[in-house]
Amino acid sequence: MNQTDTALWWARARAAGPQRIPPGGPAPAGMLRLAEPDGSGTWLLPVLPDNASAAVLDELGLPGHILEHPNDTARVLAACVRCCWTDPAGPLWPGAAAPWEQVAAAFTAIVIRDEAVSHRALLAGVRRLARSGWLLWDEGAPVIRLGPRVAAWNAAQLSTLREMYRSMPAAGLSA
Amino acid sequence: MFALAGCLTYLVLVSEPVDAMLTELTTEAAVLRVYRQAFAVLAREAGAMILDAGLIDVDEAILEAFAAAGSEGLTAAEVVAACHRFGVTVVERRLGVLRDYRAITKVVDRPNEQHYRAAFAPYIMLLFLRRLAERGGQSELHQLLTLEQLNVSHHDAVADDGRASVGRLTKVFRLLANELTSLVQRGAAEALRENAQLLWGNRSLIVQAEEVHAVVLGRWPSLGPPCASLRTSLAAYGDAIEAAAGRLIEQAGTTRALGFLPAETWVSFARRSDAQTLATVLDSFVFDAPAPWLSPQALAEAVESARPAGGTRSRPPRPDDRQDLAEKELMPTDDAAELRAAAMRLLGDRGAVSVAELLDEAGDWPTGRRLVGEMIAIHHHPELPFELRWDDGLRIDAEAFPSWVSDGWFRRLPQ
Repeated sequence: MNQTDTALWWARARAAGPQRIPPGGPAPAGMLRLAEPDGSGTWLLPVLPDNASAAVLDELGLPGHILEHPNDTARVLAACVRCCWTDPAGPLWPGAAAPWEQVAAAFTAIVIRDEAVSHRALLAGVRRLARSGWLLWDEGAPVIRLGPRVAAWNAAQLSTLREMYRSMPAAGLSA
Repeated sequence: MFALAGCLTYLVLVSEPVDAMLTELTTEAAVLRVYRQAFAVLAREAGAMILDAGLIDVDEAILEAFAAAGSEGLTAAEVVAACHRFGVTVVERRLGVLRDYRAITKVVDRPNEQHYRAAFAPYIMLLFLRRLAERGGQSELHQLLTLEQLNVSHHDAVADDGRASVGRLTKVFRLLANELTSLVQRGAAEALRENAQLLWGNRSLIVQAEEVHAVVLGRWPSLGPPCASLRTSLAAYGDAIEAAAGRLIEQAGTTRALGFLPAETWVSFARRSDAQTLATVLDSFVFDAPAPWLSPQALAEAVESARPAGGTRSRPPRPDDRQDLAEKELMPTDDAAELRAAAMRLLGDRGAVSVAELLDEAGDWPTGRRLVGEMIAIHHHPELPFELRWDDGLRIDAEAFPSWVSDGWFRRLPQ
């Protein structure tokens, strides 16, 4: 793994998000290797220092990537975190696969809306998040998993997430 | 005849390189412009140029009439009659113009001669113009180059043919290059864009010309100098193309005005280019496709904001003023009858009764209190003829009930 290869892997990750490689693939510098729970592959996730991550844009008040319906999308991800995070005391990745209905119920519990509207917002949000690596979901698949990108949240951010996890209604968890 | 056609082709091409645009000639004005420039070599005065492309049809009809007439020729009246589908004045005016240009002449040159005959050259010109308008000058140039190659390759051709051919080509490309260069250097970008057809698809012209050049140089090595000047003019044309394309790209690049080229040109480029060429378009662009970043803080805030804050806020109750109640309904229910009955019960057949007496009858305070209330209500009712009047006296009996009572009388008022 020379410098050029590392640069190439970073460029790939930059352009197309976290990269999935077969197990035992390359280990570019500065990238986190996230093994799939079943060992079928490994995700390469660029780990940026805190003072260089996308969160810096928020702190500086600079426009970052424009996300459609940012609030609904964030709620969808929150619902998925609520459903897929098996052990809030531990790390998010890999989490468990949650059935679509369970995520839908968790989402509906957050947003009190008409069911059809809520379903549309959920589908749109899941699609958006799956495109950018926050969720692992194939179009039409019955289950949703958290994507490799969630592993980029640091410990302080995870504590915020734990609080949110506790405050969210547990509706649909038994479904 | 063919020599004339070739000569006309040549004249048109060298005097009007812009006719390369003819492939997209759609407006009559553009057709007219080419006609005008083609005729310019023949016209004696500028005012005689046609202003309506339809007049060409009149000319054609006139020439057809002469062709059908045979060697006898036609009189002006016969021509007008033969061209009856056009207006008489129009035909006469065209006849005059054609006469002026000696396109039609008297059969015998004498003062009173009425019969005219037509020359064949104008009709050849007409045919050529029609072809030019239909197919465009660029294809004419290609044909010219092909013809030149055939000429110089012909086994009968001599060095002079090669020299003439090379000389013609040199002039054509010099004129093309001059026009383009002056447009690049002085013309507005819009003018350059309008003539942009001069720019592309013309590499093949240069290739064809180089083939002619190769044949000539191969057959007659003595023609080195004219061939050198042909090479120079070809190179000048190539440079002019490069410069013009560079200017257009520069303009389009700074303004991102894709309109600098016709839309179809972009489409052609996109459809005919391979992936490599298409990729070079984006060579100078840096694509940054960062995915959206979602912080847990944002997640928590979004979840929080989705909750209705403190339940839904309902509107405070408002008085129901949908229909105003009648004034009578606002009055308390009238209990006159009840009160009258109560008064009759209290008074019995007496005309007046003292409060002390009534309280004594009542026996205890709750009943007495109700009695006093009834008497006060009866007293205040405007319709009931009873009154409760209090006097100054006071009965006190500490042991008895009531222990004290004012001297009050409840009585029926006289009617």
